[in-house]
Amino acid sequence: MQKEESSSIHNESTNDSIPSGANSVWADVSPLLSASCSDLHEGELIHGDNFNLFAAMSALEIMDPKMDSGMVSAFYSIDEAIESGFAPVPISSDRTVNVESIIDIMDHLLVCEATWHMGHSLAQTVFSCIYVLRPERTSSQALLHSYCRVIRATCRAVVSVVSDARTNEEDDLLTMTYGLPFNGDEDAKGLSLLNAVEETICRQLRACKATSSKRRLLEELEPLQTNPHLEESFCKALLCRIRFRKHFLHTLNCMRRPQGRGFELARKHIASCISELDYVLESAEFLRLDLVENGENEIEERTTASGRHPIGFDSTLNKRLSAPTPPRAIKLLSWKKALGYYVKLLHNLDEICGFSLEPDLDFVLQFVIQFQKSRPDLVSRAHLQLLLVQDGKLFGRDTFLAICARGFGLDVTKDHALQKNEYILQLSQLMINLLKILCANAPWQRRKLGKILNDWSIFRVQMGITVGQAMQQDTSRTPKNGDKSLFILNHIYGWLEEQISWVALRFLMLGFDLELYSPSEYCMVYWYMYIILWKLAEKARFRVLIIVNTEERKAKKNKDYHRDMAREDRISLWVLLLQCQISLSQGLTVMLSALRNQGMCLKSQGPFNTESEKFAQHFELLQKASLPEYDAYESFTESTSHTRLDYLPVYEYFRDAQKIAKDIKVGFANDPDKLAEVRALEQVAEHNIIAVNLISQDCSLKVSFEFTHHPYFASAVVRRS
Amino acid sequence: MEQDAERSATTVASTSQGSKLDPIARVRKLLFRQMLVGIKDGRFFLGNFHCIDKQGNIILQDTVEYRSIRRSSPSPTEQRCLGMILIPSSCRTSCHVDCSIEEQLSLIQLKE
Repeated sequence: MQKEESSSIHNESTNDSIPSGANSVWADVSPLLSASCSDLHEGELIHGDNFNLFAAMSALEIMDPKMDSGMVSAFYSIDEAIESGFAPVPISSDRTVNVESIIDIMDHLLVCEATWHMGHSLAQTVFSCIYVLRPERTSSQALLHSYCRVIRATCRAVVSVVSDARTNEEDDLLTMTYGLPFNGDEDAKGLSLLNAVEETICRQLRACKATSSKRRLLEELEPLQTNPHLEESFCKALLCRIRFRKHFLHTLNCMRRPQGRGFELARKHIASCISELDYVLESAEFLRLDLVENGENEIEERTTASGRHPIGFDSTLNKRLSAPTPPRAIKLLSWKKALGYYVKLLHNLDEICGFSLEPDLDFVLQFVIQFQKSRPDLVSRAHLQLLLVQDGKLFGRDTFLAICARGFGLDVTKDHALQKNEYILQLSQLMINLLKILCANAPWQRRKLGKILNDWSIFRVQMGITVGQAMQQDTSRTPKNGDKSLFILNHIYGWLEEQISWVALRFLMLGFDLELYSPSEYCMVYWYMYIILWKLAEKARFRVLIIVNTEERKAKKNKDYHRDMAREDRISLWVLLLQCQISLSQGLTVMLSALRNQGMCLKSQGPFNTESEKFAQHFELLQKASLPEYDAYESFTESTSHTRLDYLPVYEYFRDAQKIAKDIKVGFANDPDKLAEVRALEQVAEHNIIAVNLISQDCSLKVSFEFTHHPYFASAVVRRS
Repeated sequence: MEQDAERSATTVASTSQGSKLDPIARVRKLLFRQMLVGIKDGRFFLGNFHCIDKQGNIILQDTVEYRSIRRSSPSPTEQRCLGMILIPSSCRTSCHVDCSIEEQLSLIQLKE
């Protein structure tokens, strides 16, 4: 009976707003439905001919918190929340409570912003704050108002960087703004407002420190809150938060200037940001004073320095904006973790700003790989990508033809015809794609690298045919007539193979980062790495010869010419590093296969996949790109099926690696990253030499492999069973 | 409009009491018709009636969700499209079907 009453009430209200069709009415069918339901048998449905149970399974279930984003929670709408006093302006008539609450809001917004960067939706994080959603309401409260405006401007800047770079993956929500109110003009004023607020609080702080005689002069300044003893600490707590915001937005803006022109200034802002963050962290001690301790653990999880819950936030308000996709549960970072995130982000950005912008492909690739080692997050990766590729040029400055040609010591600035060459245009596109992919996160990067290998190898084949034909017609082969185009194209063709091998090597090594290989598969992975490394080293060595040749010719022509020895030396050194890695891969392949052949290590046997199937699954993309050109699996089984433990010490691969590592350490004295790499390789070699000696003598030992010294080259761990 | 609604509500109620026609067959006739379902939290769903099971769970197709902006009525409503939805019987508070008056009258005559 009650039900019917309530339904009739709803009936009236619906008929007001939801009209039925023309000449028709809404007829209540609830009684009829309940009658038919009681007549139905268990499991029976009433449905039409087009009913499909499978399709029906995908229906969104209403009132299921995991599927129904429209569930009405605390408030029906933002307006209702405001009217109910959920986000009052001013927050409190008590000035102390007011300032404390504003600091809580600032802290919580910082947490929201970091959570957003980490992959949650903007609507449910930063824009869960009513003060940010409706900044016009707070215009009388300069502090809160300007802070919220700057937050909005910062969000806008971040969205613009990430969407321009398109380093975001389809799963990333960062660039989705769901029609949220981004008022560019109004928000842009936020920074000047915030500056004015900062100035006022600075004066306030000076007034606190001043002697009593001076204090009288400054009395017209209204204190932030009522307790004069706390004034100084409140001023400091606010100032560091405001300044962090200010410098952070400046950093983002400076980094967007073309060709990295704003980097120097950006680094200053970054340094300020980091030091302000330290003050923010320090302020927690003061802010937590009046809070009753509920145990350390709970405090650690809190989203504000004070540990209080902030006023004016409801993450369910905007939930429907992401509709009709199922709502996502938001787990905000803790305040401490959010600060940690910013420190990491700022260090990553600083690393980018500190890059020398050397127009040398070897340098650039090495830098990107080194940068990716710290697993940077999306925002910094987006910045890196925007730096590398601007207007189709490296750093927005150098054409990819110039970069490639410089790789073997040639200058192509005068060669305009070549710029429009069909192959050069295609090459630029390939290079742009490659650099963009290298800025993506590791799993995405690996998948894409595997795919572009095929594009590169097809391109190489096509270019090979054209260049080969042209070379046959032009038998002189030397650039006597001044047209170096063919000469350069031929070199680029040769260099392509080196580049393809480099991509393949990166693809294989990322597999270790992503833990895609099981210990029983290490043998085939190292065998493959050996093949690729060998090819890469061969081509790089060839490039050194070209450079030496070009430089010598230049020197002959012009007696005053200074040979660019640095480049020669650098590549030669790199070749030696590759040589060291080759020896290690070879050594590991032999050791692993010997262990396998004599049953000391698990054979690659599973109930589902044979070894050849696993081989195909791991290396299919490489084989499609003809890396190597012969039947890799056959070659792998042939070369590894006869290795024996007692012969192991005879192969001196690890000793070779150790020797090379020792020799090249001097060369890398000025490059701490490379030096660390060489040291790690040396350690792996030393460790494995000992292991080989032990296991060749005693077959009852247990052997396992760990990546304690180097992320890609395993060290054998020997234990008595 | 309001009068129509009242009348239709009473007529359907009276027919459901006195009717001897199989309710299942009558519900089957409602398939593909526009159905308006109200739920506990005050939202309404307007969609094509697609399916119902013994427990009274309803599936609607091409659904539009209506919700009030404020808790106090009357208030303006917001709407958005949801596609196919399943409304569990536990949260359903009302259920109406779009009917022409003539059709409904003839339906009643048939039954009586």
